[in-house]
Amino acid sequence: MAKHFLEIPGESIFPLDAKEEILEECESFWKQMEQCQSTLKLLETETLTESDAQFSLPVMQMKALRAEYNQWQKRSPEIISTNPDVLFALGKKELQKVKNDLEMVLSTVQSKNKNLEEELRREQQWYEEQKQLVDTLSRTEEETKNEVEQLSDKSLNTSAFHEQRKKILKLKRYKKELLTALGKFLEEHFPLPEEAGSAEKKNSYEDPAVELKPLHDILEILIRKLMSTPHEPYVPIDDSFWPPYIELLLRYGIALRHPENPCRIRLEAFHA
Amino acid sequence: MAVLRPFDKLPVLNTASLLLVGSDQRLQQELAQAIVKEKKSSNISIHLATSLPLSSERDHLRPRIDLIVFMIDIKNKYSLKNVKASLAHVAASFFLGKVCFLVTGVGRVNYCSVEINSIWKLGEVYCSPVLFCELELEGIRVATAQRLLRMLQICAGHVPGVSALSFSFLLRSSN
Repeated sequence: MAKHFLEIPGESIFPLDAKEEILEECESFWKQMEQCQSTLKLLETETLTESDAQFSLPVMQMKALRAEYNQWQKRSPEIISTNPDVLFALGKKELQKVKNDLEMVLSTVQSKNKNLEEELRREQQWYEEQKQLVDTLSRTEEETKNEVEQLSDKSLNTSAFHEQRKKILKLKRYKKELLTALGKFLEEHFPLPEEAGSAEKKNSYEDPAVELKPLHDILEILIRKLMSTPHEPYVPIDDSFWPPYIELLLRYGIALRHPENPCRIRLEAFHA
Repeated sequence: MAVLRPFDKLPVLNTASLLLVGSDQRLQQELAQAIVKEKKSSNISIHLATSLPLSSERDHLRPRIDLIVFMIDIKNKYSLKNVKASLAHVAASFFLGKVCFLVTGVGRVNYCSVEINSIWKLGEVYCSPVLFCELELEGIRVATAQRLLRMLQICAGHVPGVSALSFSFLLRSSN
C-alpha cells in the first residue's frame, strides 16, 4: 500500500514509448488499488463507544502494526523503470529539489551570520562606552580624594570650622530661650477658657466636643506650615481653634484670612 | 451514510482531503486558509464541519477523507462535548493514525474552562495524537498549518515509506 505514484513532469519532449510505459504502469497500479479498496470495503469496521475504544483500539493497532511489519519484511527494493528518459527526468527533479533546499539553508545561515555580526558590533560599542565611563568616574574620584586631603591638611580651616560650630550652638540656645519665653508668656496671658462647671452649660450645644488647642500650638502650626510650604501657607480652621483667639490674631495682623475662603488662615510673612 | 469510513471511496489522484470538526467556525476558516496558503506539491481539499454525522445528502460529492482533525477550544466546555459526541460517528479503522485532536486557545491560560487532563485522556483512549496551538497568533497559526499539512500528506499516502499508523506512534508522548 505504500507504493507511490510517479509524477511525470509536464514535458512533451519524451519519446512516445517512455510515456506509454509510464501510463501503463499507472493503470496497473490503479487497478491494484481498486481491488484493494473493494476488499477493504467489505472489511469495514463499525464505530466505537468510549469504553470499547479503550480496549479494542490498542488490539487493532497492534494487529495493523504487525501486518505492516510483515509487509516491510517481505518487500525488496524494485527498479522504477529502465527507460533512460524517465530516469533522467526523475534525476533532474531530485537534484532540483536538493538545490532548492541547499539554497534555503544557505540564505538562512547567511542572515544568521549577519545578525550575529550586528550584535557583536553593538556589544563592542557598548563595552567601549562603559570603559570610558569607568575611566572618567575613577578620575573624578581621585580628584575629589585629593581635594579632601588638602582640606583636612590646612589647620586654619579646621579652626574656622570649629568657630562656625560654636556660632551654630549659640544660635540654637538663643532660639530655645526665645521659644520658652514665648511659651510662658502665652500661657500666662492667653490661657484656654475654663470648663464651665454648671450642669446647664453641659447641655448647651456650644459644648466643645473637641479639646481646644492652646494658642502656643496654633502659632506653632501656622509657623510650621509657612516654613515648610511657603507656596501653600494656608491652614484650615477647625473646631479646636478657639474663635476669640483667631479674632485676636487677625485683628493684630499676625494672621491673615484666605481671600476667597474664610475658613483658612495663614501667618503673616514677617521675615520676607 | 452516517458513519465516516476511511476506505469506502477511491482516492482522487494527487489530492489529499482534510476534515476539520469544531464548533468555532471563524477559527476553522482561518486555519483552512493558512493551510491552503502553504507551498505543497499536491492538491488539498479542506472540509469544515461543526459536528458529525455529516449530512448524507451530499455524501456522493465528498471525496475520501484522509485525516480528521477534531478542534477543541479550551475556553469552551461545549466544544469538548461536541467532539465527544462526534467521535461516536467515526469508524474504528479511522483511529489507526487518521485522527488528530487539535486544542486551540491555549494562549489565554486564564480563561481555561476545559480540564487538560480530560483532553489527555481522550487522546489516550482513542490512541490519537493531541496537538496544542493558539490560532489567534499569526506565527503559530502558520506553524500549525504546516504540521497539519505534513500529517495530511502522510495520511493520504503521499510520503513513501511512512504510514499513518507509524507516524501517529511517533507523535505519542511516552508516559
